Amino acid sequence: MDLALQLLFTGIGIGAVYALVALGFVLIFRATNVVNFAQGEFSMVAAYLMVVAVEAGLPYWAAFIVALLGMALLGVVFNLGVYYPLRHRTYLPVIIATIGASILLANSVLAIYGPQPQVLQGWFDTPGIQLGPVYLDSQYLLIIGVTICLVIFNFWFFEKTLLGKKLQATSQDKEMASLLGISVSTMIMITFIYSAVLGGLAGILVAPVLFVSIQMGSTIALKAFAATIIGGFGDVAGAIIGGLALGVIETFGAAYISVPYKDGFAFLVLIAFLIFRPQGIFGERVAEKA
Amino acid sequence: MPLLEIRNLVVRYGEIEALRGVTCAVEQGQVVTLLGANGAGKSTTLRAISGLAKPTSGDILFDGKSIAGLGPEAIVRMGISHVPEGRRVFPGLTVKENIMLGASNRRAATSEISREADAMFDLFPDIRKFSNALGWTLSGGQLQMVAVARGLMAKPRLLLLDEPSLGLAPVIVQAVFKIISEIRRNTTVLLVEQNARMGLSVADYGYVLETGRIVLGGKPDELWGNEAIRAAYLGGHAKVSA
Repeated sequence: MDLALQLLFTGIGIGAVYALVALGFVLIFRATNVVNFAQGEFSMVAAYLMVVAVEAGLPYWAAFIVALLGMALLGVVFNLGVYYPLRHRTYLPVIIATIGASILLANSVLAIYGPQPQVLQGWFDTPGIQLGPVYLDSQYLLIIGVTICLVIFNFWFFEKTLLGKKLQATSQDKEMASLLGISVSTMIMITFIYSAVLGGLAGILVAPVLFVSIQMGSTIALKAFAATIIGGFGDVAGAIIGGLALGVIETFGAAYISVPYKDGFAFLVLIAFLIFRPQGIFGERVAEKA
Repeated sequence: MPLLEIRNLVVRYGEIEALRGVTCAVEQGQVVTLLGANGAGKSTTLRAISGLAKPTSGDILFDGKSIAGLGPEAIVRMGISHVPEGRRVFPGLTVKENIMLGASNRRAATSEISREADAMFDLFPDIRKFSNALGWTLSGGQLQMVAVARGLMAKPRLLLLDEPSLGLAPVIVQAVFKIISEIRRNTTVLLVEQNARMGLSVADYGYVLETGRIVLGGKPDELWGNEAIRAAYLGGHAKVSA
């Protein structure tokens, strides 16, 4: 029982990272109808930015802000360089462009930083606290805390602000949004910036738990992508629930069944969902009426 | 000077010439109805005015200034609001949110926009109780009310209405046209209709479009007196001379 609680905590911690990246997937998908295959690279680039900023001698919090600002800038460049020129085309060229961008980002970092994985310190000096039978690792606590704040912020932003409503309107019907005077290109720019920062945040938060490596992006992105399908593709709540569920499942699977097959459990669950419930946990909640 | 003037407008979709030289005008304060069969180019005319379709040649003057080739976001800011075919109410937003977004073409505080949206329900009492319902849960007639209310939130000088009666039960059509006759007190309206009887009942002037050209224009009673209008509105191919 104690072990189960411990595993649940760790699982939710790693699941929160998947949830953040999954949220980035979903937001871009809803705004542009395209899956951004470079979403995982956003996490990887942010982790490297953080390493660079810390090595440059910045205090941890300042490095954190610099890395997030860098990600916002990457969101702008990514939108202008990858999505914008192809926005009137079908989804296929855009998807291929995002795959190209992900290869470019990974290899640029490889060229600059070399293949050796880097180590990033955690935010806190204290490694964690013992709460009854469960040891709460401080970095996982931070991940969970930040994710909770972001989920609340996300809800407030999209449900309570007019800008959030304009973003939703744009993702539901771009032509109609433009007829109302909503600047569609600005809305999509905001979406890319927000998604890049979300992905970056996930990378920075998980970096002290994993190694900072070129491959970390694709590993996280694959899990996050699986999470969006499990949750119900295109659904914000689904992405978060799916991410958390996946983190918990793979942690329990690793502990009770097999450690080497840890990554396999996520995909086993994904395959099960694709066969038995392809619409995911939340399915399609908004039905389009003719 | 008319509020809107269209001169020899040509619009092509690839190989297809949807409009082949449309010339017409809308005077300030009038309701002008564009009649015509399916595929005559009615919707394309509205789409060209609001910037959704790019004119191949010809000109569109709003208040004497050319707006041909401008984007929809710029055109709605100049005061032309387009309620397109099929209502296009955002399915995942509530009725109130849909209506509030109609004011996206102008700068106003959110609280002010919210008040204006509430006031809009005075004109559309039937949808007041659906204020917090999501768009996709509404019926066709309710969606049409939301779409028109949203279009009016732009405070347009010219309102473009595309087939407001399409797919609605006769009693709902009556309600929609009652609202149009109220709107006309403050707003100039360019109305596209397949239902000629309803379309002309609220109009000061009417045009008949046939395969991308205006073939006839006149006051409603003149048009009713013309044999050819019945043919055009039934989708017939009778030769029409202006």
